[in-house]
Amino acid sequence: MSTPDSYQATAYTKRRRLAQGLNVWLFALPALLAYVVFLVSPAVQSIWISLTNWNGISPTKAFVGLDNYVQIFQDPTALLAMRNNLLWTVVTIAVPMVLGLLLAVALNGATLLKPFLRTVFYMPAVMPLVAIASIWSWLYDPSNGAINAFLKDIGLGALAHPWLGTSSTAFGAIMVPAIWVRTGFPMLIYLASLQGIPSELYESAKTDGASAWQCFWHITMPSLKPAHYIVLALSLIDSFKVFDIIYAMTYGGPGNSTQVLGTWMYFNVFQFYHAGYGTAIAVFITIVALACGIPYVLSQMREER
Amino acid sequence: MKNRHPNSESTLLTRRTVLGAAAAAPVAIFLASCSSTTGSSSEGKSLTLLTYDDADPAKILRKQLEVFRRQTGIKVALNTIPGSGAAIFPSKLRTELVGGKGPDVWRIWGGSIGGPFAENSFAADLTPYYKKYGWNSIIPKSDVTGMTWNGKPYGLPLYGVTVTAWYSKDAFDKAGITAVPTTYDELTAANEKLVASGQVPCGLGGEYGWDVMRLFEYLLEKNAGPQLHDKLITGKADWNTPAVVKSFTELKEWADKGWLPQGVMGLDPNNTEPGFTQGKYAYTIAGAWVDSQDIQTAMDPSAYSTFQLPTDRKPNRHSGWVEGFMINAASKSPDNAAKLLDFLTKVSTQKALQNTESTVKGAGPDPSKYPASVLNAKIGSSAPFYTIQDQALPAETANTYFSIQSEVVQGTMSPAKAAAQMEPAIKAGFSKSSK
Repeated sequence: MSTPDSYQATAYTKRRRLAQGLNVWLFALPALLAYVVFLVSPAVQSIWISLTNWNGISPTKAFVGLDNYVQIFQDPTALLAMRNNLLWTVVTIAVPMVLGLLLAVALNGATLLKPFLRTVFYMPAVMPLVAIASIWSWLYDPSNGAINAFLKDIGLGALAHPWLGTSSTAFGAIMVPAIWVRTGFPMLIYLASLQGIPSELYESAKTDGASAWQCFWHITMPSLKPAHYIVLALSLIDSFKVFDIIYAMTYGGPGNSTQVLGTWMYFNVFQFYHAGYGTAIAVFITIVALACGIPYVLSQMREER
Repeated sequence: MKNRHPNSESTLLTRRTVLGAAAAAPVAIFLASCSSTTGSSSEGKSLTLLTYDDADPAKILRKQLEVFRRQTGIKVALNTIPGSGAAIFPSKLRTELVGGKGPDVWRIWGGSIGGPFAENSFAADLTPYYKKYGWNSIIPKSDVTGMTWNGKPYGLPLYGVTVTAWYSKDAFDKAGITAVPTTYDELTAANEKLVASGQVPCGLGGEYGWDVMRLFEYLLEKNAGPQLHDKLITGKADWNTPAVVKSFTELKEWADKGWLPQGVMGLDPNNTEPGFTQGKYAYTIAGAWVDSQDIQTAMDPSAYSTFQLPTDRKPNRHSGWVEGFMINAASKSPDNAAKLLDFLTKVSTQKALQNTESTVKGAGPDPSKYPASVLNAKIGSSAPFYTIQDQALPAETANTYFSIQSEVVQGTMSPAKAAAQMEPAIKAGFSKSSK
């Protein structure tokens, strides 16, 4: 039977739940507000701009529907940029992942030299990309650069080449420092994962007569599966939004040979006064990056459950 | 007795207060940012000025702004984006203006770079101030034209750049060149001699396109002549013409014969331009800024001079452009901004600023300190100039040209195909820009 006291208790519980619910929102509000103001709102605005013919400076803009998105697939430079993005993504993910894994396996353990070597190999990852671009541009200098000088010194002068000044080699030449920079990250992730593999697994396998290769293939590699996933997902997003190193090393040239979607977006928005079209490219990049990131997010959610 | 929660009311209130404050803070910040004024920030006796001066010129400019403050009581806050160049500065300025926080006054290039700021109502029409201060009588009309859009002067051009060849006398001596070239044949002969003496003649860098363009447009002026050249860069003549083909052919010849640095299209012009004072190249193609930036900082400034690239035409024109200042149409102190511009036009200010490219009458470079700049100014005043190609052409068309130029130099596109591809690019560019 209900009593006035129990009514009061129920009402209090309801109020308390409501207050707690509100509290949650109040705690989240500052972050949510910042998120909405600085991320959601510009993103929505960008989508709107991508549907207009805005030149980026005029006070007026007209709605053009999906014309800008259609234009992406008719613009030869945008198509070239897409191809470059794809090539960039494959090479700058696969090579650093393999190198990072090899380095991690080699540097896993606790000898005196290994921590030092880990630092050395990770160092490029913390350097500013513009500084890296400058260093490598000097190294590639056709007349005074160290790379051509080295080739000449070892008798391979015939291979000396204006690496950044020729369309056929410029894109590959930019990939080299990108690989150099990006090997440190997978190495670090793999190292952390390697240190979490119980040594008993290796001891048991060795007792059973497993070779080093069998240990690597049947113990190390399966144990690194979550690490592979993290490295792949984050590298994929990182690769697709490449901009700075290309902008700093070749400015998309020679000609347009090293354009990627990020640089072509920049040129259209900031150089050619085609803000509508450039923003459509930006939205396109975001959609692709999101599509790449969704499997990673889903996997994280599954693990949390 | 009421069944009370262990938390006291006062504790709840405190938490609510904290939560409320936490929630209100970002809202307040957001609203504050929304409620701030749009347009230029200054009102009354202060102005904001945005330029692309490097550290040393900015230091000199700050001193002059202090002189201006003492004279007028108007304080000018200078903001510079050093080393940003025409490829970057306009986009930064545009972002500020579109964001509603533009400066009162800014420095900018003429032609197609400054044009969008005038044509989209961000810059003020300076006609009343030209009349009030008599700027037309101290700045040549040809320079004012470079900052005139839709028949109105939206800018005050204080820098008139004359593009000439800047060379090392030692390099020429080493090659046995006794006099500067006065015909194209003499120039090519000089190049041959420089190569024969183990030197690279012309130090240009093609990374951004515009530096090698200075050579191409010179070749185009030589081959097409002033009239056709003017028609070509204004989209009034067909680019698929023998003069253009010949110009591309000669450009390729310059690269193939080693008259340009190896791998020229991958080189940063910021690195190649000072090369003539570093013994890397014999000469470069630039404006008088190299005098103050490179020659004056060399061991022996007298070892360098300049000459006009010979076009074998009459008039023997040179490439050029103007740079100057614009006033924000939304400035709250346009009259004070105009006062600042007028202060900058004073001969004493121009001299104090060490402007070796001054358009102001009587403010030419000091012959005792800048003899090469004096020569450059003399060349500038001896004949009209053609507007440098990347300011004459719409930006997207200039980029297409850079791409074609790059392929020609690398040998992946024939000069004939280059000329044929330029024509639709030019037509499309001018068609878009006229809309």
